[in-house]
Amino acid sequence: MRGFKLDGLKLGALLWAAGLALPFALDSSWVSIAAFFAIYAITALSEDVILGRAGMFDMGHAVYFGIGAYVTAILNTTLNVPILLTLPLAMLLAAAAGALLSAPLIRLRGDYLLVATIGFNAIFVLAMQNNPGGITGGSDGITGIGVPSLFGLQLESQSAMFWLDWVLLGLVLLVMRNLDACEFGRALRYLKQDELAASTLGVDARKVKTLAFALGAALAGLAGTLFAVQLSTVSPSSFVFTESVTLFAIVIVGGQGSIPGVLLGTALMFVVPQIFRGLAEYRYFVFGIAMIAVMVLRPQGLLPRRRSAA
Amino acid sequence: MGTFIQQIVNGLTVGGIYALIALGYTMVYGVMRLINFAHGDLCILGAFVGLTMLTGSAGGGHPGAALLLLAFVVSIIAIAVAGVVLERIAYRPLRKADRLAAVVSALGASLMIENGIMLVWGPQVHVFPSNLLPATTWHVAGATISFIQVMIILASLVLMAALYLFVNHTRFGTAIRAAAIDQDAARLMGINVNRVITSVFIIGPGLGAIGGLFIGIYYREAYFTMGWTYGLYAFIAAILGGIGNIPGAMLGGVLLGLFNAFAAGYVSSSWQDAITFGLLIVILLVRPTGLLGERVAEKV
Repeated sequence: MRGFKLDGLKLGALLWAAGLALPFALDSSWVSIAAFFAIYAITALSEDVILGRAGMFDMGHAVYFGIGAYVTAILNTTLNVPILLTLPLAMLLAAAAGALLSAPLIRLRGDYLLVATIGFNAIFVLAMQNNPGGITGGSDGITGIGVPSLFGLQLESQSAMFWLDWVLLGLVLLVMRNLDACEFGRALRYLKQDELAASTLGVDARKVKTLAFALGAALAGLAGTLFAVQLSTVSPSSFVFTESVTLFAIVIVGGQGSIPGVLLGTALMFVVPQIFRGLAEYRYFVFGIAMIAVMVLRPQGLLPRRRSAA
Repeated sequence: MGTFIQQIVNGLTVGGIYALIALGYTMVYGVMRLINFAHGDLCILGAFVGLTMLTGSAGGGHPGAALLLLAFVVSIIAIAVAGVVLERIAYRPLRKADRLAAVVSALGASLMIENGIMLVWGPQVHVFPSNLLPATTWHVAGATISFIQVMIILASLVLMAALYLFVNHTRFGTAIRAAAIDQDAARLMGINVNRVITSVFIIGPGLGAIGGLFIGIYYREAYFTMGWTYGLYAFIAAILGGIGNIPGAMLGGVLLGLFNAFAAGYVSSSWQDAITFGLLIVILLVRPTGLLGERVAEKV
């Protein structure tokens, strides 16, 4: 037998498989935290597609997460569409929103794109609060979202929902991993480094960037569906600008384009605060200081992408 | 007609405040190409420092003009010092790093200051005393103009004129403009760019503290998340005028103030913010460099 080398992929697969056993080891409140970790990890990875890999400063990513959650909530509560059927629709509509909103903005670069996406986020939250057509439920949002069922099996328990989230996180991780190797991923990397050079070599910058936005938004929409199911309610306050800032910070603090970095960032920003719940008052104060400290000490992020990634 | 003039007066008052705060965003951006997300929170910190001066030492009696002036001076000094410290700790080490690192550092600073205010002063809404200024009002063509409004409009005009003269007609002002155009070339010409940056972090937050205290006095309230709301408005004003452009921030502030006043007066108020953000996106699409900004080749 040749030497067994533990590379990133194998280690990741092992950790993921071990994660499947979490519901047997933890009580249900911890399983719910693990489920939220999986959901936010998908959202953060989807932000990484746009921000970390394509280099577009998207500071309104909570919009696509929110669209996914609202699509599932509205379809399920008003038309009784089964949850897992709403999932592809949530992804599709989020992707369409990502492509449509970004299309006119793609020529804007850097800070201007960042400011425009902040504007989108603010408008989205205000629109959900103002309850257009009576379908979003205003500031209170929508309650009573059903549970997903798979082959007639109701995924009712927290453990079952965790497994659903965890399996989908695994699929998203595979997508992200393959994104490194495929032509589209290479085009993104190239565009991020030098758009002019990439364009002269035949990369259609506009098309590739719009696709990146659509892909990132679709994955965020997927996470939105899972979020709506996990909470069984959605309201505008879950998709405010602060959430977008947190997602943005996760990618930069963890390491742009680095899967382990984004996962570590998610754990630090979403799981650690759950552990220190009693100190809720100090939470964001300490967060702010930590964000400054990490950036000053490690501006490239905690686990930066390795240069020689295949 | 009365409503129209009223909205103009209201718009000019709020616009003057936006302009004072927007100057801090635009000066920092002009020299460092950094959106100082903590600026709005610094301004509201100024309002809280001033409020503490006013209520802490008046003993419930009439604060008096001298104390009001003292509150402004202390607030300006405190926030200017905070601005300089912030630059040293959170921004200076990142000048050569990836720009996104500085953006996240600025966001962290914003969270830190906002929640720092909450820890010190508590999460509740603080009410400003009502007897700070004479309650005199004037009636002009069906509109009511209060003493506070006149004071805010005049003070912001004087401060903006002073800043304009300082930046355009003094040696140090020339150094600031040079550093904004090209830091390396400015350094080669013997300009101490570090001093320029420090001065920008004195002037911007100093003016911002005045703006923050005006907000508190005008709306008669202060709460810890306020920096975000008004900071965002002022920031939109800076973009509207052309970020990095000093007269642009003044113009943008006044225009946005008027725009908001008319949107609130004539359109439903629950969509008012959405209209403002819609305006922001339209500007970015049509003329991303703002009304007075010049087109600069972007280096990302």
